[in-house]
Amino acid sequence: MVVEDDDGIRTALRLALLDEGYDVVAVPSAEEALAHLAGAEVDLMLVDLMLGGMDGYTFIRTARVTHDVPVIVLSARNDTHDIVAALEAGADDYVTKPFELKEVTARLRALRRRGARVGSVSSAVSEPPGGRALDAGAGLVLDQTAGRVTRQGADVQLTVTEYRLMVELASPPGRVLSRAALLRSVWDRGFFGDERIVDVHVRRLRTKVEQDPSDPRLVVTVRGLGYRLDPQ
Amino acid sequence: MNRRPRGLRRTITLAFAVGGMLLAGVMSLGTYAVAREYLVGQRELVARQQAFADASFVRDGMLTSGRQVSDVLGSVSPPADSTIFVRRGEEWYSSSLTQTREVVPAELLQTVGDGVPALQWGDSADGAFVATGVPIPAVDAQFFEVSATPELQRTLATLAWVLAAFAALTVVAAAVLGRWAAGRVVAPLDGIAGTAARVASGDLSKRLAATEDPDLVTLVGSFNAMVDALTERIDRDARFTADVSHELRSPLTTLTTSVQLLERRRDELPERTREVVDLVAAEVRRFRHVVDDLLELGRLDAVHDGSARDRQVVDARELAGEALVTSGRSAELLAPGSSDPLPVGVDKLQMARAMVNLFDNADRHGGGVVTVEVGRDDAGEGCQVVLVVDDAGPGVAPGERERIFERFVRGGSRGSLPGTGLGLSLVAETMRAHHGSVHVEDAPGGGARFVLRLPLEQGASR
Repeated sequence: MVVEDDDGIRTALRLALLDEGYDVVAVPSAEEALAHLAGAEVDLMLVDLMLGGMDGYTFIRTARVTHDVPVIVLSARNDTHDIVAALEAGADDYVTKPFELKEVTARLRALRRRGARVGSVSSAVSEPPGGRALDAGAGLVLDQTAGRVTRQGADVQLTVTEYRLMVELASPPGRVLSRAALLRSVWDRGFFGDERIVDVHVRRLRTKVEQDPSDPRLVVTVRGLGYRLDPQ
Repeated sequence: MNRRPRGLRRTITLAFAVGGMLLAGVMSLGTYAVAREYLVGQRELVARQQAFADASFVRDGMLTSGRQVSDVLGSVSPPADSTIFVRRGEEWYSSSLTQTREVVPAELLQTVGDGVPALQWGDSADGAFVATGVPIPAVDAQFFEVSATPELQRTLATLAWVLAAFAALTVVAAAVLGRWAAGRVVAPLDGIAGTAARVASGDLSKRLAATEDPDLVTLVGSFNAMVDALTERIDRDARFTADVSHELRSPLTTLTTSVQLLERRRDELPERTREVVDLVAAEVRRFRHVVDDLLELGRLDAVHDGSARDRQVVDARELAGEALVTSGRSAELLAPGSSDPLPVGVDKLQMARAMVNLFDNADRHGGGVVTVEVGRDDAGEGCQVVLVVDDAGPGVAPGERERIFERFVRGGSRGSLPGTGLGLSLVAETMRAHHGSVHVEDAPGGGARFVLRLPLEQGASR
C-alpha cells in the first residue's frame, strides 16, 4: 500500500511497483489508508510523512497497534528530527525524496527478505526444541523454529525488523556487532546507511524485551563498537 | 605622497603631548620671565642703595679731612665681589688691585660724566655684573661701583633648570594621559571591531552590548540594526532557496520515477521515441543533481557555526574508497598508502557527496580522475587528514583558483557533460562546515590537484 498525498508521486510509485510485480493500493490520505487496512491484507506500506489530515507519524503509530505491517517512510526532508521521529513511531526504514526508483525497490526487497527469513532461517541453525532462553529470570525465549519471541509462554509482539535484529544479535549471543554490520545484515544497507536506524530499533526492541528499558542488560551498548546480546 | 596614516591612538597621544608641551612651555617661560624681572629689579635696588651709601661715604671722607682719595677708598668696605672706582679729573682710584677701570662701561662713563647717576648691566669674563655710577659734584669726582652677581646668575640658572625639568615632566605626563585617554576612547571601538570581525566571519548571533554612553548609543544601535538586517536578509535568501528546492522535490520525484519507468521499457519503444526518452532522462538527472546540490547547500548554509549535524567517526581512506565505488568508479584509483587508521568526524553522506563532486569535476574538466591519495599531515597546527585528487586535464589557471569554488561558476567545457555549477562550491561549503579546507594546485604530472584537508579526529569515540 502506498500512502502519499502528492498525485504525481503516488501514481508514479503505483505504476513502478506494479511493474515490479507488487499488488498496489495507492491512497492519498491516512484516513483512507486506515479504512483499507481494516478491510484487506497489506504486506508492506510506503508512507509519506507529510499528509493532509492525519500526518504520517500518527498514522504509523495508529496502524502499528493493530497491524504488524512493515513500513517504509517517504521523507520529504533529510532532517535528523523527522527521520528519528518516524522511526520512533514504528517505521522500519526510510527513503528521502527525491528518491531513485531503485532505491525504493531495494528497501522494499530488503524488508521482504527480512519477513521471509522468519521461518526459513531456523532450519539452517541447529535449534534446541522450544527455543533458546534469552532471559531465564523473565522467561524470555527466542524460538526461531516458530519465528517468535515469547515471555512466560506468551508472544512478545515484535515487528519483523525487531525480530530480525534480535536473531542477528542472538546468533550466537555474546558477540559484539557494529552498527554498520547490523545495517548490512538487517537492512541491507551499505557504507552510507544511516546508523541511527539501528539505534532507534535497538531502543524499540529494548522497550519490548528488557525488564527495565532504561537500564538495559539483555541488549547492551558497547561504547564505540556496537551492540551485544547478553543472555541473562 | 604616500604617508602612512597615523592610528587614532597615536594621534590622540601625540595631541596630548604637544598640548602639554605648549602649556608647559608658556607657563615655564612666563614664570622665568616674571621671576627674572623681579630678581634683577631687587638686585638693581640693592646695587643702587649700596652705591649711594658708599658714594656719600667717599664724599664725606674727601670733604672733611681733605684726605687722599686712596685713603678714603681704603677705609670704605664694599661687599665682596664689588669694586669701587673713583675718578677725579683724569685720575682713577680703585678699591681693588686686580680690577681695572676698563670694566666700567663707556656708556655709563658718559652718562655719569653728564652729572646723572645711572646703572648699567655688563658682561665680563667672570660673568654678568652690575655697574652703578654716581657723580659727586661736591668734590668734583665720579663714583663707580661694579658688582659681580654670581648669586643672581646661580638663582636664575637653577630656576631655568627646574622649569625645564617641570616642562619635560609635563610633556611626559601629558603623553601618558593621552595614551590612557586614547585607550578609553578606542576601547569601545576595539569591542566593535572584534564583534564586526566575528560577524564578518559568519557568526551572525553576535551583537554589541547595550551601552549607557550617549556618545556610543547611536553607533551601537546602528551596528546592531545593521547586523539584524543582514541576518534577516541572509536567512530570507537561505529560506527562499530551501523553499524553492523543497517545492521542486515532489514534481522531481514524480519525474525521476516516471522517467525510470520509461527507461525500463526502452526496448519496447520505437527508435525515435527512445532518443527522446534518453534526452529527457539525462536532463531530469541533471535537474535532480542541481536540486540535490541546492538542498545540500541550503543545509550547509543553515550551519553557521561549522558544526555539521550527523557527525560520525569514519576512516577517511574507507570513506574515499566507498565514495569511488558508489559513484561507479574503480576503487583501484585510490593510491595505496599506510594502513594506519585515519579517523575523521564527518557527516558521511555530505563528505562522500563532496568527494564525488570532486571526482565528477575531474571527469568533466580534467579528463578523469588519475589518482586519489589519502594521508596525514602532522605539520601545521593539529594533525590533519589530507585527501588529494589528481586529474589528467589542463589544470586550473592561477587566477581561477579561488573563483571556481564560487556558486554557479562553470569551467570551460559546457559540452557533453554540463555540470550544475554548484559542485565545487558544495565541496568548499562542506569542508568549511567540517572545519576543513579545499584548494587547487598543479598536479606533479600535469593536470589539476584538488587538496582536501580535514582535522584528524583525536580520541575517536561516539
